[in-house]
Amino acid sequence: MTMKLDRRQFLLGTTALAAAAGISPAFAQQALRLIFWGSQARADRTYGVTDLYAKDGGPAIEGEFLAWNDYWPKLATQTAGGNAPDVIQMDYRYIVEYAKRNAIAPLDEFVGGALNLSDFDQDQLDGGKVDGKLYGISLGANSVALMINTVDFEKAGVEVLGPNTTYADLTTIGEAFKSKGVGKAVIADGSVSEPMYENWLRQRGKALYTADGKVAFDEADATEWYKLWADLRAAGVCVSPDDQALDTGPLETTMITLNKASVIPSNSNQLVAFQAINKDKITISNFPRIATDAPGGHYRKPSMFFSIAGTSKSKEEAAKFLSFFVNDQAASKVLGVERGIPCSKAVRDALAPTLDEQSQIALNFVANLGPLLGALPPSPPAAAGEIDASLFRTLGQEVGFGAKTPEQAGPELVKGATDILNRAA
Amino acid sequence: MTAPAMEAPVPHAGGAVSQSWWSRVWQNHAPGYLFLLPWFIGFLGLTIGPILTSFYLSLTNFDLLTAPRWVGADNYIRMFTADPKFIASMQVTLTFVIFSVPLKLAFALGVALLLNRGMRGLPLYRALFYLPSLLGASVAIAILWRQLFAGDGLVNDFLSVFGIQGPSWISNPRYSLWTLIVLSIWQFGSPMIIFLAGLRQIPQDMYEAASLDGASRWRQFWKITLPLLTPVVFFNAIIQTIEAFKSFTPAFIISAGTGNPINSTLFYTLYLYQEAFGFFRMGYASALAWFLLLLVACFTAFSFLTSKYWVHYDD
Repeated sequence: MTMKLDRRQFLLGTTALAAAAGISPAFAQQALRLIFWGSQARADRTYGVTDLYAKDGGPAIEGEFLAWNDYWPKLATQTAGGNAPDVIQMDYRYIVEYAKRNAIAPLDEFVGGALNLSDFDQDQLDGGKVDGKLYGISLGANSVALMINTVDFEKAGVEVLGPNTTYADLTTIGEAFKSKGVGKAVIADGSVSEPMYENWLRQRGKALYTADGKVAFDEADATEWYKLWADLRAAGVCVSPDDQALDTGPLETTMITLNKASVIPSNSNQLVAFQAINKDKITISNFPRIATDAPGGHYRKPSMFFSIAGTSKSKEEAAKFLSFFVNDQAASKVLGVERGIPCSKAVRDALAPTLDEQSQIALNFVANLGPLLGALPPSPPAAAGEIDASLFRTLGQEVGFGAKTPEQAGPELVKGATDILNRAA
Repeated sequence: MTAPAMEAPVPHAGGAVSQSWWSRVWQNHAPGYLFLLPWFIGFLGLTIGPILTSFYLSLTNFDLLTAPRWVGADNYIRMFTADPKFIASMQVTLTFVIFSVPLKLAFALGVALLLNRGMRGLPLYRALFYLPSLLGASVAIAILWRQLFAGDGLVNDFLSVFGIQGPSWISNPRYSLWTLIVLSIWQFGSPMIIFLAGLRQIPQDMYEAASLDGASRWRQFWKITLPLLTPVVFFNAIIQTIEAFKSFTPAFIISAGTGNPINSTLFYTLYLYQEAFGFFRMGYASALAWFLLLLVACFTAFSFLTSKYWVHYDD
């Protein structure tokens, strides 16, 4: 049998060929995929920048965002499936793990080329390095900070917390809150806040973890921590354990947003997001001191990074986008300081005068921490997240609800954390 | 008239009787298998495959990002010797099963008895009472539950009418699991529908005979209704128990995936999920999953074995 093409078949075939040829350039100019965690406020700003980038002739960028808790399972699943997005928002806690498994790519080859980091802060660059190679571009510097509802403090007739406020002062403020009928606790229950515990340890000259990933505090430290909060709880200075348990992570369920407390521990860059969902004016300050002559315990850290997936087929394109994200001045005006203080000096100088009041507060806070600052701690061991989620918070609740005494919880924290670290090793 | 299918294979009979038998079977059943093919592919690829893979993974350490590492029975040994959270989560799930299943069945039976009294508008009530079961496992209802049982939620607003200051039910470890049990009882719709159908099967003349003999309604229930309904009770108990063991969504939403306060709502499935997707221990999580499968299988087998002592099939 000989092959015969009638006219219709011929036309069909050639049309299909032409169509395939026509489509293929479109595939070559593939959209970049981007994934990040955060609130709607962050998403609006991020998509504002991707729109700008597309307008500038860059490839389209398909973004998706999730809440912190949902983000890591999703990212791990996508990575395991070989389907990781090109650009990945990365945290200081996970960067070592992802880098060591080649799930994210080293970016050194792009620096100076697609990726311009000429006036980037050195400490922020170093924060994104693993074993001397650059794996993450810091999207902003921040520090832990207290979010403070200023209206409550006006009502109570006391001054808003400042650089020299101590934990002991909180009790005095609590009395003012009660006598003036503010109707809230002064502060959220910090005993379940790992950043607050770390800051408190650093004020005592200790730390959470050593550089080689061991527990760096002892039973006496932990016991005293639980006692501190047990006293504040008994005095009604911090919220009840029932109320604290309502806080499941998102900004919407924090004690300040639920109107249960006037002060909560958080991060300086989140002032923007908290103000967006709170009517009362919010300001920020450093964490309470153990004594005014103790070190402040704060440090400037990369709030988060952008990394590029190890499996990405368009690393160069992705690096160009990263460069745009951290260097373009129009982009920086869209982003503001929602992800922290920009790390490029030129961007920072151009941005500062255009910021609104709240963003100015955040910027000045990080810039003026001065004597409260200490060195950046080494990146935490991989199991640090598990210790926080499944041990530290549970123990804090157990003491809160009276199921354990501080004297029981302290040694259990040290032992439990050591067990988890040994298991992961 | 002969079927064309019978004629076709005959001329090529090279001594192969079996071949013609095969081809006959093939020709007779091929369309059937062809139509079943999508199901077979799904069953092998999406059910059996993953189940067997998870058994293999349960004998390894697997963190999603690097290749699985063989550890033999270590995961299973750890579960029983060195994991207090395994015990804690098993306690939570067993408590949930032990309280929610009987209460839900009793409630479902009660409503079914009420509806079975030949009232007007029965289909409407049936649909209304069934509604929660359709919604129950959904995220929206779990969020609603959070609002209802929060410290300043509707439940406490209602209690305050009577001068009672209720606690924050969902965030207090004494009550949080009970809010989930109440949520489960509220979804009594599907056992109720099945009870209702079972009640319809009971012959009316038995009740007539009993009431002629002077048996009270209460006695009729215990001596006629319940014994004749035992096959339905049995069926409902099995299904609801398996569902209760597998229950996940409400606890996940209400505690935002943490199982808090103080692990009081850390269902076994939630712990499994945390190990898998929170801490990336897929191997250990697979072992947990296999243990749950075994546990449910044992429980079901046990129920079937005891059923001959209390389930009355009237044939």
